Amino acid sequence: MFSKFRAPGLTRRTFLKSTAATAAAAGLPGAALAAGDPIKIGFLAPLTGAVAAWGKPGLDGCEIWAERVNEAGGIDLGGTKHPVEFVAYDNEYDPAKARTGATKLIREDGVSFIMMLGGDTWPGVQPVADKTGMLFSTLLPSDLSPDTTTLIAPAEVHPIYNVTGVDWLAENRPELKTAVMCAQDDALGLPSVATYLAAFEAAGIEMQDEPLLFDPATTDFAPVVTRLLSGNPDIVCLDTCYSDYVHPIAEQLFQQGYEGQIISCTADFYDQMIDKTSKEFMEGFIFQFPDFDDPALNDPRINFDDPNGFYAEYNKRFPGQWGAVSWEYASIMDLWRSAAEKAGSADPDAVLEAMLADGTGKHAFGDAKWWGKDLFGIDHALVGDWPVVVIEDGKATIKGFRNIPAWYDKHGDLLVKHMQAYDQMWDQRG
Amino acid sequence: MLKFLIWPIVAAALVALPHGLSFSQQEILVFLTINILVVSSYRLLTLTGEWSLAHVVIMGVGAYASALFSKELGLWVPVSMVLGAVTAALIAVLLSFPLFRMKGFYFLIGSFAAGEIIRLLWKRFRDPFGGPKGIKGIDPMPDFSIGIYDFDFFEPVSYYYFAGVIVCICLWLLWRIEKSPVGLTFHAVHWQDKLAEASGVNLRAYRTLAFAIASGFAGLGGALLAHYVGTINPNSFDLDLMVFVLTWAIVGGTGTFYGPILGCVTLTILNEVVLRELGFEQMRPLIYGAILILSILFLPNGLESLVQKLTRRRKTA
Repeated sequence: MFSKFRAPGLTRRTFLKSTAATAAAAGLPGAALAAGDPIKIGFLAPLTGAVAAWGKPGLDGCEIWAERVNEAGGIDLGGTKHPVEFVAYDNEYDPAKARTGATKLIREDGVSFIMMLGGDTWPGVQPVADKTGMLFSTLLPSDLSPDTTTLIAPAEVHPIYNVTGVDWLAENRPELKTAVMCAQDDALGLPSVATYLAAFEAAGIEMQDEPLLFDPATTDFAPVVTRLLSGNPDIVCLDTCYSDYVHPIAEQLFQQGYEGQIISCTADFYDQMIDKTSKEFMEGFIFQFPDFDDPALNDPRINFDDPNGFYAEYNKRFPGQWGAVSWEYASIMDLWRSAAEKAGSADPDAVLEAMLADGTGKHAFGDAKWWGKDLFGIDHALVGDWPVVVIEDGKATIKGFRNIPAWYDKHGDLLVKHMQAYDQMWDQRG
Repeated sequence: MLKFLIWPIVAAALVALPHGLSFSQQEILVFLTINILVVSSYRLLTLTGEWSLAHVVIMGVGAYASALFSKELGLWVPVSMVLGAVTAALIAVLLSFPLFRMKGFYFLIGSFAAGEIIRLLWKRFRDPFGGPKGIKGIDPMPDFSIGIYDFDFFEPVSYYYFAGVIVCICLWLLWRIEKSPVGLTFHAVHWQDKLAEASGVNLRAYRTLAFAIASGFAGLGGALLAHYVGTINPNSFDLDLMVFVLTWAIVGGTGTFYGPILGCVTLTILNEVVLRELGFEQMRPLIYGAILILSILFLPNGLESLVQKLTRRRKTA
């Protein structure tokens, strides 16, 4: 009598039963897509709130990507073409809302793959991923651990790529010998601090002081900058500060008369920074995220389709909104599409297997390998070359590509040492 | 007769409710249930006339304490939830010493500062609080069966039933407190503080008592949240959420017991269901803000005033 009230719990089997209808439209195991059925991709990131700058521009980029793919006929799975569409859910960078969003995207919308910013939101989603076997991607490989078997970090390996900027700087400006660093004391700032410390040590650049960690609620950066400049350093490193910090810090550096080298992970909306300071002040500013109209991206090894056209279209639709993540989610979709076409299916298991098949993958900046066991406990981060970008005459310019695994092979012990000192190794987190 | 029938009908409706909702709406229902406890406990504090900005942080104290009790000490989750609530109440008692030297606007600002200090402590001390990333892998409520129903606490429906029972008991307790002589004294402390003091009422003791009781229930709400989501961090209990709690209380009205609950339910459905379903995903903050301004302009006494008007009309009819 009461048997219908028994809740059997969500297992992979019951999940597939409960989503049978949507699964048919999503290419989930046991439910083939009919010809012409759209493949739905989940976009679970902050679209509003303080972290929206690392979600919303990515969704905009994905919409352009989808239009391009659909105009070309769609995604070819086993000989039948399917259009692709994105289903977005604003998680407001909140783990509880991310869990709700993941549930909706998987069990109601029937998506085949979910892209996330990650970070604070991933732990809320992980139980859903474990139960359903859904494939997720993150921009923050610090989410990876041996338990996250259905999570991949295929676009950026934050913060490890920051070593390339320091490496290039040491090679091109050997006269710079001392550095200082500041960062917000949070989950993005700390692993980046450890990485820059390792990179500076490897390059023979001396830290004048301990990294200055400020609270994320900080709004007045004058004292921070005053302290940074007190020892007259050759280099000021801005770590992975959010753009809300990079801009006022750069402004303070300018106002306090700093004329040395600045290096930072990002420089989103750098044109506004130039407006607030001067072209001369920003000359030589090193960071890691190129504009996609850069001619260097037309190199045959680049695995991003028509980057210059993508950038032009993006700027036409969203003027002044280009940022670090505008291309990243779209580049993840390139990788997913190629794996799905190889597998002939949108099934999460099949796609993941095809992605990891030979241990290599086509990263946006060239062929790369699945890597990360030492740092993340699992080889689910796609790592290869990364560009070093310098502002020259008011414009971001790629100065070269550096290989991250090559650096790690030489200096990996330093990175592990500093990561451990900041409790950032996978076995030290949470 | 109708009076006796109404509660079984409400109970049956609440039991049936999740089965008429989509999967994601069931998830929202769980968080709504927990938020009802938080906003109702907040109203108890406002009875004494004090509005705190630390209530959500105190909710976080309960969440952190419960998570640590179960994770580090290996306590059974229901026991750790109760201890989380007790910890939140004790922290509130400690905070009351400096805070209740102030009143009104100064208390509001003081409570905000106290709450931020607690949040900064969570961020600063990676051991035991996990620093900025917080605590992950919090033990879930252990599954069990009562014969006619198997509770699988990954499932929102199971957790809704569990949290619903807890919240209903808490609401009944809050209501009983408000209607008791202690509750009446809370009202007196707010509206007739000089007279109450002249009658021998220790104002500070009663304010502390309201603060501690409200915090205990908020802490329990935090514990319920922590063991469902499985992760908490300092940003989970920031000023943004506090603004939501204030908004629910103000839009719903604090004159009646059901006012804040009405505000919480209405605004959550509006923000998390209606606006999302209508495709206003990215415009929600804007529309939500506009609705708030309009409701404050045209419903200064909150949504509860609409209910009161309707019931008055029915009585006169």
